[in-house]
Amino acid sequence: MDNIRERILSLAPEATFEESQILTAMIPSDKFREVTLHLKNDKDMQFDYLQDLIGMDWGETLGVVYRLFSTSNNQCAVVLKTSTADRENPQLFSVSDLWDSANLYEREVYDFFGINFINHPGMRRLFLRSNWEGYPLRKDYNMDSNHLTMENQTIEEMETATTLNLTSEGLVNSSFQLFGEKEYVVNIGPQHPATHGVLHLRVSLDGETVKKIDPHFGYIHRGVEKMCEGYTYPQILHLTDRLDYLSGTMNRHAVCLCVEKALQLEIPERAQYVRTMLDELTRIASHLLGWGCMCMDMGSITAFVYGMRDREKIMDIFEETGGGRLMCNYSVIGGLSKDIHPNFLKRIREFIPYMRKMLKEYHTLFTENPIARGRMEGVGYLTREQAISYGVTGPSGRASGWSNDVRKIEPYAAYDKINFKEMLRTEGGTFDRYMIRLDEILESLKILEQLADGIPEGDYRAKTKAIIKLPEGDFFQRVENARGDFGVYISSKGDKSPYRVKFRSPCMTLASALDPITRGEKIADLIMIGGSLDYVIPCIDR
Amino acid sequence: MEVKKIHIPNMKHEDFNDNEYLEKYVEELHKNGTNVIIGKIDDMINWGRSNSVWPLLFATSCCGIECMCVGAARCDFARFGWEVTRNSPRQADVMFVFGTLVHKMAPVLKRLYDQMAEPKYVIAVGSCAISGGPFKDSYHVIKGINEIIPVDVYVPGCPPRPDAILYGMMQMQRKIKLQEFFKLPEQPVIK
Amino acid sequence: MNESFFLVAFVTAIVLVVGAYWIAKLIAPHSSNAQKGEPYECGIPTRGNSWLPFKVGYYLFAILFLMFDVETVFLFPWAVVMHDLGTNGLIMITFFILILALGLAYAWKKGALEWK
Repeated sequence: MDNIRERILSLAPEATFEESQILTAMIPSDKFREVTLHLKNDKDMQFDYLQDLIGMDWGETLGVVYRLFSTSNNQCAVVLKTSTADRENPQLFSVSDLWDSANLYEREVYDFFGINFINHPGMRRLFLRSNWEGYPLRKDYNMDSNHLTMENQTIEEMETATTLNLTSEGLVNSSFQLFGEKEYVVNIGPQHPATHGVLHLRVSLDGETVKKIDPHFGYIHRGVEKMCEGYTYPQILHLTDRLDYLSGTMNRHAVCLCVEKALQLEIPERAQYVRTMLDELTRIASHLLGWGCMCMDMGSITAFVYGMRDREKIMDIFEETGGGRLMCNYSVIGGLSKDIHPNFLKRIREFIPYMRKMLKEYHTLFTENPIARGRMEGVGYLTREQAISYGVTGPSGRASGWSNDVRKIEPYAAYDKINFKEMLRTEGGTFDRYMIRLDEILESLKILEQLADGIPEGDYRAKTKAIIKLPEGDFFQRVENARGDFGVYISSKGDKSPYRVKFRSPCMTLASALDPITRGEKIADLIMIGGSLDYVIPCIDR
Repeated sequence: MEVKKIHIPNMKHEDFNDNEYLEKYVEELHKNGTNVIIGKIDDMINWGRSNSVWPLLFATSCCGIECMCVGAARCDFARFGWEVTRNSPRQADVMFVFGTLVHKMAPVLKRLYDQMAEPKYVIAVGSCAISGGPFKDSYHVIKGINEIIPVDVYVPGCPPRPDAILYGMMQMQRKIKLQEFFKLPEQPVIK
Repeated sequence: MNESFFLVAFVTAIVLVVGAYWIAKLIAPHSSNAQKGEPYECGIPTRGNSWLPFKVGYYLFAILFLMFDVETVFLFPWAVVMHDLGTNGLIMITFFILILALGLAYAWKKGALEWK
């Protein structure tokens, strides 16, 4: 750690450090590029995973917070901050050539704060329409400034991008078209049965072969982060379920853990065990739906119906204990909102052997099918280096050989008290991503078995004040979502509402990896690859 | 004219919650000059029409999962004849709007609604589609799809249970059965 | 007998088709707006021209399918009168299938069945 501190100081002597659990450095913007280049390329440290890139409005300055991790050494983590005082025309250096995931993250920061990034390959807004006025997450944004317009989006709106390059004459801003005149561009989505939500893909085709994909997001952008700045901490919890609705319990768990960490609140063990069990049940439900939808995209509606049938059993368990099927609304800050139902454990114990039997059926029905194998094998490869550079976490990253399970790296709740294996595969193709989800269901069943026998008695909720105010500072918590590394960043100034909330979306990186995987494949394979990556669009759009 | 009891095979007339709505609907149509004498042929045609309505799925967010549950085996909308979900608006009769509508998606929704062929109906499912839902404070969310297109049935909930969505579908069937076949149905007025 | 049968079939075909169109035109509701005339592409307006030169692979697949479909059509009448034609007919049809099978083998070898 001190090693990193010294290296940063040697490259940027004006850097200042903050007191925090992770080494946090504020680096002036002119030296920032050198520091990041060094941290990425250094042989000992090799910070190759950019976990999150968070835009901030600090009142007088606008800036960005970068969270960097090293995949070879899990203890190596650093948070870099940089800022610019120019609010009219803010500009910072881009890091999208070092980490591919920064491409979309920087576009998001441009969309919300207006910061233009120098040397970014194609800067344009990410979620809002190109003719949107103003930058919503700035503190001086007027909420009524944009009214509804029913005009369809024009081709120039959708295809123009700009780059800001540093040449010998200074900064030059030029715009270009993303697709050529003669290219055959087709819209897949937003209203499409196979895009897993409202994802708009503009695909340039050459016959059946895909030449280039340009994803457009924002068709379900609900402005959750801006809304959170006006709500109290318990009110934020209601929005978190609706982000990635298939792992709603896990998202809620992440926000609760972040707030509890900031308040330094001890959660009773009983609450931790039950939260972990609900997380694993949600994971099984999400993988069942992901499996069913992927098979339905291939044409097998039977598999979809089987997956949903078993998912209904999990929905019954949620409904009995929590009150809701999809939105369980069960974890609160401090623990659980009410104690578990007396039937909870009995139902789980009945479910585990039933699901094991059903998994064997799924393998016989679908995995052995030669048509399914023919469609999935040999298609859609993502190498380990690409997965790390694009930030593809979760089962898709593990199918490419990257060991990124947050439950193992930074155990939370009851995960350090149980034994489970992290499923890893090496090839990184569509078939591997398919198989890894079914294997993970088996592991989750093992986790449930271990936890069901050992729930301690006691309180289910710790006492908190009526009005929750977090101390000043930045707090972060990572959780293993069904789709990957879900992070919550809360920056607080001591009030009862947060100053800034950012949710690190695992699905955004999955959707950004769609372009490199699918170049050269056919359209039918595009649908399969999208199904195997299993992204959920409201998680991207927030 | 008294509204004859509309018969839906799965539920009794008394079990529906708002039968006054149907009676008021008929009065309104009468006042505007529409003749609502339903003959035997209209009855037969309406029976066929209400039992084979093809939905256009427009699932944007969380309610879309409950839509999948309605289509799956436990609560099955194929029992009602609504199973064939068409993805092209030209082949669809009813548009289910599941989920939040945002400013960027609004022109897409309007375009799809315009491309549907008459007679067409809209069912708004979920509180986001009815009034903006939990997101009504946002800068990018439309507070209810009835600001853009006329809606026939509203199904509240966040998300509504699949059984609630089926109840909404049955109300839609009753509304279809009231309509005279050889004229276009009255489109509700957007205020 | 044959001529009048042909005439009757022809006239019935025309009457049924034209009748169906005419009745539909009379009783169907009419309502049109600008959007209904536009192509459907998931709700977004289309881009560019649709009359583009397209990849010749599609043509190849279509032609191969057509040939083998026509071969099947020729096999049906032989199958109906198979017994009357006897061994002679069997030898002739075998030659016919053999020529087409040679064509299929050539296409397979040349890679026309793969999508390039």
